[in-house]
Amino acid sequence: MDAETIVKLGIKAGFDEVVADTYLSRRSYLKIANSKVDSIVTKFENSGSLFVSSKKRIFFTNIDRLEKKEVDAAIARSKKVIQMVQPKEDYFGLAEGPFKYKKASAPDKKIESISNEGIADIAYAAINGASGGGATNVAGTVFVRYSENELATSKSVHANGAGSEVRLSIRTFRGSNFSAQDVNTSQKLSGLNPEKLGNETAMIASRANRTGRIESGIYDLVYAQSPGGSLVYMTNAMACIGNVETGSSWFTGKLNKPVASPDINIYDDGNMDGAIAASPYDDEGYPTQKTALIKNGKLLSYLHNYSTAKKYKTKSTGNAGLVEPGANTMLFEHKKKVKDIDALIERLEKGIVITNTWYTRFSNYLTGDFSTVPRDIALYVENGEVKFAIKQRDVGSMVGIRITDNMVRMLKNTECAARDTKQASNWDTEGDYFFMPSILVRGATVSVA
Amino acid sequence: MKGVEEADYAVRLAEKLGAEYAEAYVESSYGNSYALEQGVLNSSAYYEKLGLRLRILRGARLYVFSTNVLEKSNLRKAVENFRGFRGTDTRLSQEKPEKASYKVEDKVSVDTHDFLKDLVDMDKSIASKKYVKFRSLYGGGGRSKTYFTNSEGARIMADLPMVSSFMSIIVSNGTATRQRVLQFGATGGYEMMKVSDMEAQALEDSANMMKVLDKGVTLTPEQLKEIRNVVMAPEIAGIAVHESVGHPHEADRVFGREAAQAGTSYLTSKNLGLEVGSEAITLVDDPTVRNSYGFYLYDDEGVKAEPKVLVDHGKQAGLLLNREYAHVMKTRSNGSARSDSYSNEPIIRMSNTYLKPGTATFDEIISEARDGVYIKNFMEWNIDDTRSFERYQGNEAYLIKNGRIDKPVKNFVIESGTIDFWHAAKLMGNDLKRFVGNCGKGEPMQGVPVTMGGPTTLLSFRR
Repeated sequence: MDAETIVKLGIKAGFDEVVADTYLSRRSYLKIANSKVDSIVTKFENSGSLFVSSKKRIFFTNIDRLEKKEVDAAIARSKKVIQMVQPKEDYFGLAEGPFKYKKASAPDKKIESISNEGIADIAYAAINGASGGGATNVAGTVFVRYSENELATSKSVHANGAGSEVRLSIRTFRGSNFSAQDVNTSQKLSGLNPEKLGNETAMIASRANRTGRIESGIYDLVYAQSPGGSLVYMTNAMACIGNVETGSSWFTGKLNKPVASPDINIYDDGNMDGAIAASPYDDEGYPTQKTALIKNGKLLSYLHNYSTAKKYKTKSTGNAGLVEPGANTMLFEHKKKVKDIDALIERLEKGIVITNTWYTRFSNYLTGDFSTVPRDIALYVENGEVKFAIKQRDVGSMVGIRITDNMVRMLKNTECAARDTKQASNWDTEGDYFFMPSILVRGATVSVA
Repeated sequence: MKGVEEADYAVRLAEKLGAEYAEAYVESSYGNSYALEQGVLNSSAYYEKLGLRLRILRGARLYVFSTNVLEKSNLRKAVENFRGFRGTDTRLSQEKPEKASYKVEDKVSVDTHDFLKDLVDMDKSIASKKYVKFRSLYGGGGRSKTYFTNSEGARIMADLPMVSSFMSIIVSNGTATRQRVLQFGATGGYEMMKVSDMEAQALEDSANMMKVLDKGVTLTPEQLKEIRNVVMAPEIAGIAVHESVGHPHEADRVFGREAAQAGTSYLTSKNLGLEVGSEAITLVDDPTVRNSYGFYLYDDEGVKAEPKVLVDHGKQAGLLLNREYAHVMKTRSNGSARSDSYSNEPIIRMSNTYLKPGTATFDEIISEARDGVYIKNFMEWNIDDTRSFERYQGNEAYLIKNGRIDKPVKNFVIESGTIDFWHAAKLMGNDLKRFVGNCGKGEPMQGVPVTMGGPTTLLSFRR
């Protein structure tokens, strides 16, 4: 059953508003372990979801199968349950369509039809590239997705979309002390060069030939795109009005106040050309847009759907989430730019190059205090020169470093960026995408156990 | 149960088309959830799903296919596509084909009980404290029926109701804030959710966070250097057990399968038997704890679950194994393969992981510590890729002076190497408690329900 028909059935059943979303997707995950292809998982799903409202009561359910019997059951279930829930007094309805949408880029037919052999070829190209760069062991994932969806609402919205993605995550090891990980992602197969990524990742792991120890203290940090982006992406998540309202955001009460260096602009973009997560419309069919969250260091906007925007007497930013707004792709800009990551490193008197992080955890979301752990090679730099890789892998003794910082402090002390912006993500923030350059952050606390 | 016929069909077909081994797993599940934010019902949702996962070995290659489209034509197409990569030779351990059916009863039904009312009542009680600035409460329940069959003749049916709740509370004294996250859950009906206990804990922890805010002292770097004795409450023992002992004992980390995702391990094939900690520590993972959040009797490869001793009196003693790594280690699986849904592959996971208790009372442990810090609960934690370097920041912590609990301490942090951390374990309490969590691993990320626990434990560090 299509989304428009589901909406008609929902209205006939007496709901004030109905949103139906149907989707079909094929996803494959190929796992690389110990420099070989380990396994392939393929998922095929065809299902949908239903959102209804009635007298400010809202209810959300999935439709596991798009057959009439299942759709009828979902509507009947919704009718029964919605009577029992309390009204959401601050719910102000769905966006009224119809809307005109920007044309989306077409999905890659080659991804739609890729075989297991084709996916394995990507993996082996990456493994070969990494081996050529000196890797002694390679691990990773090749992910491919092809999906279609249809959205209809009782507010005259009807939209269709399709998307494709290929993502290669490679982690290379050189002996037991040196490792590096990077991710490349593209809407098209032709946008991925697995051999190059494998080779470059192995070369990162080769940027030092010896390990050493440092003392706990204050260091300047150069973050590569993936670790920097995974931290800064939190800006967009924390700008979502739901997090602001519940005090789970360091942006609570900070609108129009400085929250970053005056040289920094951060955007949320729902339909950026080439962005994996790009869509011309959000979950209620409102056109997506580019929203300046931080401009010249000041927090300019929170992220809204139609209902929360109405509550705050502003306009939707195209970030529905029917229940709560959600972040789209993050785009980071810094006015002070240098050529590349090496030019950032040259500016370090006493600093560390961070190539990957994970386990970022917040002790207080309202203040933005966090700590994070560098996962792969972290290079100690003195007077612009790489001295050694900080020893991180040694059973039985206390080794490794940890960064303790505050998000606002970090963004206020981000001095400059390289001209190497790329679309990135990492394992720790799977599904979140950002366009991020390498950045230089002054004065972070680094502890050594 | 729906899907059984299709599962049997798919396994037969895979065998017919040349698979050395085939298994099918069907999940039919449903559940509801509610989210209250600042007392307002923010969302009410229900899900229902039926899907099938087929996993086969052909030419020693491992293929997995999952779908919610159970038509035989779709399954046939998937089986026919199980080909096409050069790679690792995967073999599975020999296991007894189990035939079983088990069920956990929900005395207070997950289908009819009004848990929303419980959440609303709890929220009102928490909101009555003026220092509680923000609160989010989430809760719900559901049921999962599963069927597992394989080409070796195993047939296992399970029927498990589950309930869970999550709270985030922020308190403020006007100048500073503290945040606490509480999680509850069980395999069973709503009778397992002790609502009055949950409410009491939320209120107690909120009041104690205010004590830390108003009266907490911050230790100077010099004072911190002098701290030798740290008493960790069961909540800290639990997270430390999970992160720095449980995870590194997962065989797929030890042998590199998770290296690009959830990481590696300080354990390798060459140092098994390592002295991980002091003689005082024995660590167990046990999926068979009745009504626990990590409960199961058969894993998602059809292997009978059992308690596993991972560390025995300080020595590494066993790994968490699935059939693939049991074969690598020339042994039998200990039933540690789990998936969070039919749509994901089963991988090696913890269940209910805990540090075995001793006999000391809380007062005896504090008295033995004499001077140091007692950490009751945490907010922030993390650990490195090999699991050898960890941090736990106390949310609620107190100085210990002359063998007695003294002033609250702000933001006391344990940051230590794993081996040093567990060698510092000196005296174990008699008060084992388990805490609920959702553990993430794999790609795509799979979150499975677990518990983690331990007793109050005295750590005496050599600095």
